[in-house]
Amino acid sequence: MTIEMQPPVKLKGVGDGFWVTLDPSVSEDKLKEEVTRLFERLKHLTINARITLDTGDARGCENLIANIGTFLKNTFDVGVVTTPPAKRSVPLERIRQRDLSKGWTQHRSEVLMLRGRVRSGQRIKAKKHIVIIGNVNPGAEISAGGNIIVMGRLMGQVHAGDPDNEEAVVLALDFRPTQIQIGGVVAAGIDENSDAVAEFASIDKGRIIVQDYLKAEPFGNIPWPEVI
Amino acid sequence: MEGKIIVVTSGKGGVGKTTATASIGAALALEGNRVAVIDMDIGLRNLDVVLGLENRIVFNIVDVVNKRCKLTQAAIRDRRIENLFLIPASQSDNKDVLTTAGVERAAKILKKEFDYILMDSPAGIEKGFENSIVSASEAIVICTPDVSSVRDADRVIGLLYARSITPKIIVNRIVPQMVAKGDMLSHEDVMEVLSVELAGLVPMDEQVVIATNMGMPLVMQNNSKAGQAFRRIAKRLNGETDLPIQVPTHKTGMWNKLSQKLGFKK
Ligand SMILES: Nc1ncnc2c1ncn2[C@@H]1O[C@H](COP(=O)(O)OP(=O)(O)OP(=O)(O)O)[C@@H](O)[C@H]1O
Ligand SMILES: [Mg+2]
Repeated sequence: MTIEMQPPVKLKGVGDGFWVTLDPSVSEDKLKEEVTRLFERLKHLTINARITLDTGDARGCENLIANIGTFLKNTFDVGVVTTPPAKRSVPLERIRQRDLSKGWTQHRSEVLMLRGRVRSGQRIKAKKHIVIIGNVNPGAEISAGGNIIVMGRLMGQVHAGDPDNEEAVVLALDFRPTQIQIGGVVAAGIDENSDAVAEFASIDKGRIIVQDYLKAEPFGNIPWPEVI
Repeated sequence: MEGKIIVVTSGKGGVGKTTATASIGAALALEGNRVAVIDMDIGLRNLDVVLGLENRIVFNIVDVVNKRCKLTQAAIRDRRIENLFLIPASQSDNKDVLTTAGVERAAKILKKEFDYILMDSPAGIEKGFENSIVSASEAIVICTPDVSSVRDADRVIGLLYARSITPKIIVNRIVPQMVAKGDMLSHEDVMEVLSVELAGLVPMDEQVVIATNMGMPLVMQNNSKAGQAFRRIAKRLNGETDLPIQVPTHKTGMWNKLSQKLGFKK
């Protein structure tokens, strides 16, 4: 087994200052020692220099950063000490790493999943998403705070994004609802006798549009699975 | 052995519940069973007229349930078909005179006396429907090939399942010419939505109206296509489960029979 030893402190010149990468798993004293070693080489260049202290994507390092910052100001007369601008990619990366290693077990997505046929006069309501493996007959009503997915023929009345989530979608392998509502937008079902193709409805510019699911691939450009 | 209570119901009115109850009841009796057909459409008595037994009514189902008479006093014996009995509805009361508890009590006695008890349910899903299904172990749901009837049948099927009663479907009043032209739902279209076991398919047949008006059991008319369809339904209910379901057709030529055998779709 090889353990790759990363130096606990890395130093890089950026514009009018220095970018200091710290390994927060190393003790504060050890970090100070390393920082001192590197900064001593810079001599007068440290005076009034802009310092960025970067602890990577570790959290809860505010104390450490404050202590090192004060140490640098007192010892090397540095100027402003800041942390890296919050980048979206950093926490996202972290979430994905965690998802990979923990196998999604810590996530909870509220989905009501049913199988069978929903018949006329039956009403199904869920706080978030609904997945029905089966058919939804004319006269049945489905309403969900989130998305509605029907793995079968959708012939009833559906309301996704109830009451006002206009991001919600309705997807069915055979899409023939009598009426559809997403958020506050209502549309009557289209009575075309087309072949069964997977279609989905979403809101586009305030109107409900229905598209071929496999052709439009509404979620195909999301590069990584995310919990909804 | 205890008899079986089968409710005939539909949700929508006028689709053929009473016709089916009378016909299947008569056919089951012709098969050698002791059969009671019971008119649960309190206030809108019909079954007695269809069976031509109107003029022999003394007591009715309300009297039986409310213990004003014995079961044997209310059951009218059909003189043409042995072992067929009618228990009529009361024409003057309304649906509230019966309670589900009362019906259940009467059902216990009925099951001891008869092999089959057919309950002709009223239209709708209210009190009268509840009374009709409360003691049933099986249900026959009648529907016609039109969208509103299918919708109502579907609703009723859901309600029956909720009470652990497994329904079977009869599609009644099929007009094969219209189906062929695409002007009427086919039985496949109907079953695609309802998706429960099919009990049988009954064509539109003017003999039904003639038989009803004469008070003659339809199933005794050998030239009635609907009557023959009901006889086959009764046979299947009575255990001849292999008897195939015939799809009503308008042509009776050689070619049509052949093509059906070969499994072509008309
Ligand atoms: N297969 C058929 N062919 C032709 N006419 C039919 C057929 N079945 C039923 N009918 C006619 O349809 C009408 C309604 O039938 P029926 O009274 O049996 O229906 P129902 O469901 O009992 O009605 P309700 O809901 O009023 O009790 C009657 O006039 C009957 O003669
Ligand atoms: Mg009737």
